[in-house]
Amino acid sequence: MSLALQLVGIRKSFDGALALDGASFESQAGEVHALLGENGAGKSSLMNVAAGLYAPDAGSIFIDGVAVSLSGPAAARQHGIGMVHQHFKLVKPFTVAENVLLANRQPHFSSGMRDIRATIEKQVAELKFAIDPDRRIDTMTVAEQQQVEIVKVLVGGVRILILDEPTAVLTDAEAIGLLEIVQRLARSGTAVVLVTHKLHEVKRYADVVTIMRGGKTVARLDPRQSSAAQLTELTVGQTLALPERTPHRGGPTRLNVGALTYTRGDGRSMLNNLSFYVRAGEIYGIAGVSGNGQAELAEALIGAIESSSGEIWLDGVGDISRASQAKRREAAIAAIPADRYAYALAGSLPITDNLAVAQIRSGRYGSLIRLDRSATRRDAAIAVRDYDVQGVRSINQKASLLSGGNAQKLVIAREFSRAPEVVVAHSPSRGLDARACAAVHQSLIEARERGAAIVLISEDLDEILSLSDRIGVMTRGAIAGEFARPADRQAIGRAMVDHG
Amino acid sequence: MDDLSRQAGPLISPAPSASRRLGRLNLDVRQDLAPWKQAVFVGASLMSGLAISIAILALAGIAPLTLASELAGVLTTENLRGVLIQAAPLILVGLSASLAFRIGFWNLGIEGQMVFGGIFAAAISIYDIGPPATRLLLMGAAAALGGALWVLLPVFLKIRFRVNEIIATLLLNYVAMYFLFHLLYGAWQDSKTAFPQSSPFRPFERLTDIGYGVNSGLVIAIAGVLAAGWLIHLSRIGFYTRFISANPRMAKIVGVPVQATTVWIIAASGACAGLAGFVNVASQEGRLTQSYANGYVFSGVLIAFLSRNDPIVVAIVGFLIAVLFITGQTLQVFYQIPFTMVQMIEAIIVMAVASSEFLIRHRIRWIR
Amino acid sequence: MIDFLVNWLANAPVTAVPYALAALGLIVAERSGVLNLTAEGLMLIGALAGAGTSLLFVGHPAVALLVAMVAASIVSLLFAALVVVLRINQVIAGLSVVFFCQGLTGLIGTLAKWQNKQLTGLAPLKIWPLSEIPDIGRIFFMQDPVVYLTILIFFAVNFLLFKTMLGLRIRAVGENPAAADAAGISVALHRILAIVAGSSLIGLAGGYISVVSVKLWVTGMTGGRGWIAVALVVFARWAPRPALAGALLFGCIEALIPHIAAAGIRVPQYLMLMTPYLATIAVMIWVGAKDARGSQEPGALGQPHVREERR
Repeated sequence: MSLALQLVGIRKSFDGALALDGASFESQAGEVHALLGENGAGKSSLMNVAAGLYAPDAGSIFIDGVAVSLSGPAAARQHGIGMVHQHFKLVKPFTVAENVLLANRQPHFSSGMRDIRATIEKQVAELKFAIDPDRRIDTMTVAEQQQVEIVKVLVGGVRILILDEPTAVLTDAEAIGLLEIVQRLARSGTAVVLVTHKLHEVKRYADVVTIMRGGKTVARLDPRQSSAAQLTELTVGQTLALPERTPHRGGPTRLNVGALTYTRGDGRSMLNNLSFYVRAGEIYGIAGVSGNGQAELAEALIGAIESSSGEIWLDGVGDISRASQAKRREAAIAAIPADRYAYALAGSLPITDNLAVAQIRSGRYGSLIRLDRSATRRDAAIAVRDYDVQGVRSINQKASLLSGGNAQKLVIAREFSRAPEVVVAHSPSRGLDARACAAVHQSLIEARERGAAIVLISEDLDEILSLSDRIGVMTRGAIAGEFARPADRQAIGRAMVDHG
Repeated sequence: MDDLSRQAGPLISPAPSASRRLGRLNLDVRQDLAPWKQAVFVGASLMSGLAISIAILALAGIAPLTLASELAGVLTTENLRGVLIQAAPLILVGLSASLAFRIGFWNLGIEGQMVFGGIFAAAISIYDIGPPATRLLLMGAAAALGGALWVLLPVFLKIRFRVNEIIATLLLNYVAMYFLFHLLYGAWQDSKTAFPQSSPFRPFERLTDIGYGVNSGLVIAIAGVLAAGWLIHLSRIGFYTRFISANPRMAKIVGVPVQATTVWIIAASGACAGLAGFVNVASQEGRLTQSYANGYVFSGVLIAFLSRNDPIVVAIVGFLIAVLFITGQTLQVFYQIPFTMVQMIEAIIVMAVASSEFLIRHRIRWIR
Repeated sequence: MIDFLVNWLANAPVTAVPYALAALGLIVAERSGVLNLTAEGLMLIGALAGAGTSLLFVGHPAVALLVAMVAASIVSLLFAALVVVLRINQVIAGLSVVFFCQGLTGLIGTLAKWQNKQLTGLAPLKIWPLSEIPDIGRIFFMQDPVVYLTILIFFAVNFLLFKTMLGLRIRAVGENPAAADAAGISVALHRILAIVAGSSLIGLAGGYISVVSVKLWVTGMTGGRGWIAVALVVFARWAPRPALAGALLFGCIEALIPHIAAAGIRVPQYLMLMTPYLATIAVMIWVGAKDARGSQEPGALGQPHVREERR
C-alpha cells in the first residue's frame, strides 16, 4: 500500500509562539490513522497545514510520493485532501444542497443544483444518513450538520479524509455510528486520519496511531499492541493524580432553578421548564450534548441573558432571574464561561484591570473620584502567585497575551476573589491541556470544600463524572434525569439520547 | 443592524491570533507591538498622508513652497490668535467624538448637536433670561443641555428600537440644520437685516479675549479637556468605560453598570458638541448664524482618531487641526481653493493613519 | 385634485431612481459581507463625473452616465483596498471615503467651474401606444429611459444574487467567509468584485441626479440621499424587492414636497424639507420595533476576514 500523505519536519509558529516543531506524519490508503494528543499539542495545526489552511514555515508535504506545495484549501482539494473541521465550515442560512454546491463548483447554478441533489441523495443512502438536501443548515442539529460536512467532503471525491475531533459533539451512541462509517470508508480505499484526544476511540478504531506532544511527534504505534497506560504516558508526559475529594456532607440548598424557560429571538425554545437545585458544598454536573440549551442556561445563570419565565432562586438574595443589575451584583455568583475571551476577559486590558473589576465597587481600589492603581497592582501580584498564572512578564500586560490555561486561571482568580457562594462553570477546561485542566478541577474542588454550590455544565462526560456529586442530564432544554455518585455511564448515555 | 456598529469594531480593534496566506505572501497577525514602534508606523503614515495631500494641492495649483510659506505665516503671532480661536471648537468636538467613540457609540451628529447648542444659547439671549452677571454661564449651560438632548434622542432610539446610530445621528444633522434655517428665516430673524441671522448678542453675552490674544472660548475648551481627562483616566466611570469599550458582553456579566455609564458618557459627548456651538456663536460671530456648525463632524472624527480617543492628546491634535483650518481659509481667500479641500485632506490623513493599523497588526512574510 | 396626483406620481419615479439604484448597489456590495457607508460619497462622484462629461461632450447623456458609473467604480477601488486588503475598520473607511469624495468633488467642481451650468438631460421614452392613455400614460409610460433601465437592473441583480454560481459565492462570502475560504473561494476577490460592481450602480444613481433629474452640478447636491439609501438597505433586509418598494416610497415622499408648495398649501418650507430624513428615521424605528431579533443581515457583515481563530 502506498503512502497517500506524508508530512515531514513541519514547523509553524504564530507570532513567536511555536505551534509545530518539526512534526512528521504518514498516512496510508485503506487504514484509519489516529492522531492522538491533548489540547494544544498541535494536532489540528498539523492537519490544517495538510489541508492547505496554514503555510508551514519549514518542512515538506508529499502526496503519493510527489512533493507538493499547497497554496490554499482549493489546492488541497485538488490533490484529494478533504477535512471535516471541529468548527463546521457551513453557511447557516443556506440549504444542504447549496453548501455542497459551494464546495463543489459546477458550471451552472440550476443544472448544478439538480446534479448535486442527486449526488447527495445517493451518498446519503450509502452512508445511511437521514439528510434532506433542501433543509436549511440552521434548522439541523449539530450531529446532522456534521453529517452534512462529511457528505460535502465525500461528494468532492476525497482520497485523504481528515476528521478533526469528530466525536466531540456527539453522544456515545452517535460517536459509535460515525466511527463505524469511518472504518468502512477506510476499508474501501480512502486514507483516513482521525484527530482525537480520546483513548478508547484510538484503541477500538485505529489501525495505527501517531502521538503528538508540545508540537512534536513523539511516537508511532500500533494501538492494538499498546496498553492504555502506555498511550496515556506518551500523550501526557506524566501521570496525573486524580483530585482528592471528601464525600458530600449535604448542606442547605443554595441555588434553586424552577421551571426556567427561554425562547430565542428566532422563536426556538431553548429552555423548557428546566428545574434543578444545588446544595452548599456540592458539585452539580449538567451533562448533555451541546445544543440542548446548555449555553442558554449558563447565560441565564450568569446574567448575560434574561429568561422568559421561571425563577433562579439564590439563598439569601431571592429570585434573580429578572432582577436588576444591582441585585445580581449583590448575589456574587462566580461565572466561568465557556468562551473566556468573549465573556470573561477583556483581552486588550491589563491583567490588573481584569482582576480589579470584581471588587471595584467595594471601594477597595479607590473612590468614585479617583482610582487607586497601586492597590490593583498589589492584589494582582498576589492573585497571579496564588493561582500559578504563568507567562506574566509584567502585571500590566494585556490579558490576551496569556495562553488558554493561564487565562482560565486568571478568570478563576478573579471570580473566587470574593469567596462566592455559588459558582457557575461552563466547559471550564475546554481547550486546555492536562495540567491546566487539573489545576481548574482542583480549584473547583477547593471551592466545594469551602462550601460553595457549584453548577458544572460540560460536554465532556469524563469531566462531569470525575467531579460531580450529582449529575443532571440535559436534553431539549430540560433535565431528563438525575443521577447520584457513583454514576452509571451507560445510563447517562441513554438518557442523553432518549427524547420524549 | 443593531450590532452593526459593534461588529465593525472599535476604532482601534484588537485582532484574533491568526495566519493568512495570499499565494506566496503570508500575513501573520501580531499579538503585540512595542508602543514606540507603533508610534513610528503612525508617524510614517501621517507623513505619507500629508505628502499625498501636498501633491494634490500642487496639482490644484499650489506649489509646495507657497504652501510652506503660508503655513509659516499662519504660525506668526498675529495669526496665532485666529488659530487659537479656531482651536476651541475643534478641541471641543474632538472631545465629543472621542468620548462617544470610547464607549462604542458612533456619534456622527456633532453638527446637529452644535446647532442645538447654539440655538439654546441664543434662546437665553433672545428671551433675555437671567441676570447679566450669570448670563454667559446660563448660555453655556443651556448649550451643553441642548447638545446633550439632541444626542440623547438617537441614544434612546438605539436602546429602545435598535436604530443604528450612524444613520440616525447623520440624518438628525440635516433635521437640525433645517430647523436652524426655519428659525433664522422666520421667527428669530434679525429684522434690521435681510440675512438669515439673529439679532446680535449683548456685550455681556459675548466670549471675549482674556489677554495675550487668548479667547475665553479656549478656556472653556481647556476646562473640557481637563474634565474629560479626569473622567476617563482617574474616575471610576472611566474604569467602567475601559471595559465597555474592550468587551461589552463581559462588562455586563462582571457587574459594570453598562447602560448607565453609556448614557452618561454619550450625554457628556453631546454636551461638548453643544458647547462647541456656543463658543462659535458667542465668540466670533456674536449672533446665531447659518454656518457655524459646518464641517465639524469629520473634524471631530479625525481628531478623535488621531488622538486614540485620549482627551489630553485631543488638545494637541485639535490645535494642529486648527492650524490646518486657518491655512485652508488663507488658501481660500488668496488662492481661490475651496474650503472643501480641507475636508479632503482630513479624509486622506484618516485613511493614511488607519492604514498604518494594518502594518501594526500584521507581519508580512514571503514564503518560497 | 387629479392633476395634483398625476403631476406628483409622474415625478415620483424620477426621484425614486437614485434611491433604487443606490440601494441595489449597496445590496450587492454588502451581501459580500462588507459594511458599505460610501454611498453618499460615490453618488457625488457619479454626479460630478456625469455633469462634467455632459459639459465636455454636449448631447451625449448616455456617455455621461457611463462615465459616472466608471468614475464611481474607480473610487470604490480605494474603499475596497482599505477594507479588503488593509482590513481597516469598515465604518472609519466608509466615512473617510465619503468625506474624501465630498472634498474632492467640491474641489474639482469649483476649479473646473462646472457649478450651476445647465445640462442637456435625457429625453423621455414614450412607450407607444400606451403612452397616449390620459393620466396613466403620463405616469407609467412616458418616463426617461433610465427609469425603465432601473427595473431591468433590479431583475438582473435578483437573478445574479440568487440564481447564479457567482451570486451563491458572494452570498457565502458574506454569511460565513471561513466556510467560503475552506471551500476554496477567494474571499478577497469576491468582496472586491461585489464592491466595484455595486459601486457602479451607486455612481449611476449620482449621475442620474445631476444629468437627468436636476440637470446641473452643485457642490454637495446629493444632500444626504446616500445615507437614506443605506437606511433603505437595512429596511429592505438586504433583499432587492423590498428595496425597490422602499425606494418608490421615498421617491414619492421627496416628489411631494415641491408639489405641496406649488398647490398653494402653506407649510413652513424648512420643516417640509426635513420630511425625507424624519421619514427615514421613522422607517428605521418601525423596523426595529417589529423585529424581535432583527437580522437578515449577512452573517459576517462588518467583520474583516482573517483565517482561523487559534485560541
